[in-house]
Amino acid sequence: MSDTKYSATSGIQQEERLLFEHAHEAPESISLPGVQGKAPSSLDAFKRKTAANIPGLSEPETVRHFVRLSQWNHGIETGFYPLGSCTMKYNPRVNEQVARLPGLAHVHPDQPEDSVQGILGLLYELQGWLTEISGFTDITLQPAAGAHGELTGLMMIRKCLDARGEQARKKVLVPDSAHGTNPASAALCGMYTVEIKSGADGRIDLDELKKHLDDDVAALMMTNPNTAGTFESDIKEICQLVHDAGGLVYGDGANLNALVGVARPGDMGLDCLHINVHKTFSTPHGGGGPGAGPVAVNDTLKPFLPVPRIEKDGDVFKVITEDEQSIGSVLSTLGQTGVYMRANAYISAFGHNHIHKIAQDAVLNANYVLSRLKDVYHVPFEGLCKHECLLTDEWQNKHGVKTLDIAKRLIDLGFHPMTVYFPLIVHGAMLIEPTETESKETLDSFCDAMLEIAAQCEAGDTQALHDAPVKPIRRRLDETQAARKPVLVWQD
Amino acid sequence: MRYLPHTDSDRQAMLDSMGVKQIMDLFADIPGEFHTKLGSLDLPEALSEAGIVKKFTKAAEKNRHAGNTRCFLGGGTYHHFVPAVVDYVVSRGEFLTAYTPYQPEIAQGTLQALFEYQTMIARLTGMEVSNASMYEAATATAEAALMARRVTRKTRTVIAGSVNPRYRSVTENYLSRLEGDYIEVPMGQHGTDLSQVIVAMDEQTACVIVQYPDFYGSVYDLASLREACDANKCLMVVAFSDVSAFGLIESPGAYGADIAVGSGQALGIPMAFGGPHLGIFTCKQKYVRQMPGRVCGLTTDADGKRGFVLTLSTREQHIRREKATSNICSNQGLMCTAAATYMTLMGDAGLETIANHSAAALDLLVSKLPSGVVAADGVRYNETVLTFASQEKRDAFINEARNNDIFAGIPLETIEKSAEAKHLLVATTEMIEEDDINDYIAAMEVAL
Amino acid sequence: MSVPTDLRFTKEHEWVRIEGDTATFGVTDHAQEALGDIVFVELPEVGRSVDAGEAYGVVESVKAVSDVYAPVAGEVIEVNEALEGEPDLVNSDAYGTGWIIKVKISENNDSAELMNPDEYTEFLDD
Repeated sequence: MSDTKYSATSGIQQEERLLFEHAHEAPESISLPGVQGKAPSSLDAFKRKTAANIPGLSEPETVRHFVRLSQWNHGIETGFYPLGSCTMKYNPRVNEQVARLPGLAHVHPDQPEDSVQGILGLLYELQGWLTEISGFTDITLQPAAGAHGELTGLMMIRKCLDARGEQARKKVLVPDSAHGTNPASAALCGMYTVEIKSGADGRIDLDELKKHLDDDVAALMMTNPNTAGTFESDIKEICQLVHDAGGLVYGDGANLNALVGVARPGDMGLDCLHINVHKTFSTPHGGGGPGAGPVAVNDTLKPFLPVPRIEKDGDVFKVITEDEQSIGSVLSTLGQTGVYMRANAYISAFGHNHIHKIAQDAVLNANYVLSRLKDVYHVPFEGLCKHECLLTDEWQNKHGVKTLDIAKRLIDLGFHPMTVYFPLIVHGAMLIEPTETESKETLDSFCDAMLEIAAQCEAGDTQALHDAPVKPIRRRLDETQAARKPVLVWQD
Repeated sequence: MRYLPHTDSDRQAMLDSMGVKQIMDLFADIPGEFHTKLGSLDLPEALSEAGIVKKFTKAAEKNRHAGNTRCFLGGGTYHHFVPAVVDYVVSRGEFLTAYTPYQPEIAQGTLQALFEYQTMIARLTGMEVSNASMYEAATATAEAALMARRVTRKTRTVIAGSVNPRYRSVTENYLSRLEGDYIEVPMGQHGTDLSQVIVAMDEQTACVIVQYPDFYGSVYDLASLREACDANKCLMVVAFSDVSAFGLIESPGAYGADIAVGSGQALGIPMAFGGPHLGIFTCKQKYVRQMPGRVCGLTTDADGKRGFVLTLSTREQHIRREKATSNICSNQGLMCTAAATYMTLMGDAGLETIANHSAAALDLLVSKLPSGVVAADGVRYNETVLTFASQEKRDAFINEARNNDIFAGIPLETIEKSAEAKHLLVATTEMIEEDDINDYIAAMEVAL
Repeated sequence: MSVPTDLRFTKEHEWVRIEGDTATFGVTDHAQEALGDIVFVELPEVGRSVDAGEAYGVVESVKAVSDVYAPVAGEVIEVNEALEGEPDLVNSDAYGTGWIIKVKISENNDSAELMNPDEYTEFLDD
């Protein structure tokens, strides 16, 4: 079987030393602006006794070093990136361009309000749009990422319960399919989590939920569609049950891409929802961040929103820094506004007339992939999927092939692997989220690769799977060695 | 829609292959009552790419910014120079549009850049290890307080009143739902009196948090604090708001800090009206397993070649869940790449020059202050508090400065709520020229 | 796999060797295999007292982590410092050089529900 129908190949890829191994004296210091003097003598007693030993390369060497490193990376601009629950969609270039306008990028956060009306307007507009798309009544832009949004949302829930005189409620229910950030955020908020076992269909089991609903319940944290890629069709009843028990419902918006413009979590009874702007609204992941995790709230939680936040007074945008019932601040500033510029540009490009096409094509693509793969890979939960589909390695296990091997083989065939071994509710999970920005040609090519891998397993021709990957600049890396004797900084 | 590759015939072919009639049939599992009427959301009409550029250009033109003013604002965000190469590197799609490097074989670029970042940040702060970033300085400070509780198994937190009030507020917020005391030590002056902080420490104290240079810009000797921390078996946490200082002055590590946290925004990252910035988190090697956030480590691949992976991940939320060292997942990865690129361009010499120019500018400004305006006592790096005779005088100056395209400083009470409304927090960087300072002083003379 | 006959076991896959008033704790071969390559063992301080069933340390592999619980109550008198440099001893010799701590058994003689080797073997088979 030939790999030539797939795109992965090896061009000139350069090895590149660490900065610290570029052996020559640091070049002449670059000329820098400003007052060309020395620090005052009063600082003499505080001067560093030894230099920091930051190497310093000339500009051409710096560019070449980092460009070479960049070429060892796979990004959404390089190729397909079907990471489940990560929503790796195309990041429009015009968003980068407008976010870099000096009037947006070089604005100090403490400039007087009258000098920042333009950027406040863009942020305020985005607040309204995100609130409208998610179906809530207000929003905070302060949280810097999804997990930060979870913490913020739980802080509001805590304060709301306290205001009701319900200080004793500390139990947070979390489905066993939840992201790990959910229990970690709850712990940070002084609450404890109880895991609810998913039903046979991968969804929340109402009877199981009811068992845990008592006077201790503070909240249910749920992701909908859940991390198995299916919609919690009992959502209305779930919210009703939790509310009747005196708790609130927190929505993890990691999977909002399945619903944009088609359905709104706020309409379904949730009390709040964090939105991963770096997923649903196309802001780049940057190799781990920055993201943004604004939290939309209903009227129940609105009084507790963090400060500062933006309000409009006539034609003037104002920053509110104090509010009686607010939980206070979770960040130094209004939020990761540079990220929000990109999100604003993204929604601007769709408008009310196209926005639903995001969810439509995302769900179409995931179901298409599912339909092409379901006969050769085990599908743990039957039925429609939403924006991502879940498979397992159960049928490949009997040939000695695991999810990890399939993932690494995909690399040799030119694709970034799917999310592996998550969610934890199935063994050997492979969670595939194609997103709406992939063409049918790309999806077909990926599915062909997956089918070919399955066929290789059936034929017992599995060596290439165990050896994979062989094409990238590095092969499988020894994680045990890294963790046993952690080397986190270079020693010359 | 230009971001969606499918034609209608593609969509139809895909639906046909699945035996599905129309796209909305794929949403049949969402109860009908929750279906939004397509096209009904209260959003404007879609804009063309040209329309987007026009809209943003118009909005941007309504703002003043550091490019068309002279910016003397600090308070945690500083207008340092951003070299073109830094922006170019972080604009590369391979860095910009990559996910967290969970598949290390095809993410060695991000990983090596992280390893280089960790190394350079550790060297600059004088600390043994660095993580791969927190959101920003305030949450990094809060995470330091949480980490100290884990390391010491004690719950009392002592924080100096000269730590940026925003860092204090977020830290207090993070701690307020957990057991244990949170003690703020008021300073009663625009500087840090370590003896007051030391008096507030006891054997129940998990950590003491100070800022160096402090919120008011003052630089002071931390040696006595190290001794007091040893005496109380508590951790010494040093926060900072402009890491450029350590190109010149002694690092937190040199004073024996157990944890050093702060803002790395100075390292080639635009102010961007408050973010995304860079939260630096560093500590001693022996505490590394209690450190929050991702970290990149050295290893080898199946062929024995050197490579890098995310490591020590059992500390993190995806494995340790409710027992994780933090809930953080997405961090500020791209900002690490920016900071690594920036530090590479600068080297020791460039970083020292930037610190020298930043400090020299403030020194020049203070030396020219007319009577009636006083700078805070003590040794300063690039930030200080100016005190005016009255709020009227101060505001008259701020307005006069504005008329000359100068943002003169931050009225102290906007950040420190308890401050009298006659102080101005002023900061300088290498972006301030001598002429700017002359204009600044001239405006002051006119207003006073 | 063979289970040493001189040990007692818990349902959490810990073993204990009782010699006089001293008990040695470790994790079983089954436990180390389930965890995979051990990369770190968090040890308690000498002098700390642990209750039966109380978590006294943590065993970590690359992608999994497990608290370890005391089979019997006592005061920690020795920890296996070799594990700091070579945590993989738990993998290579779980019942021998991969021991974790030694305690002086407390006088109240409190202990978790312990199984003998046959019972543990049966427990593993279930």
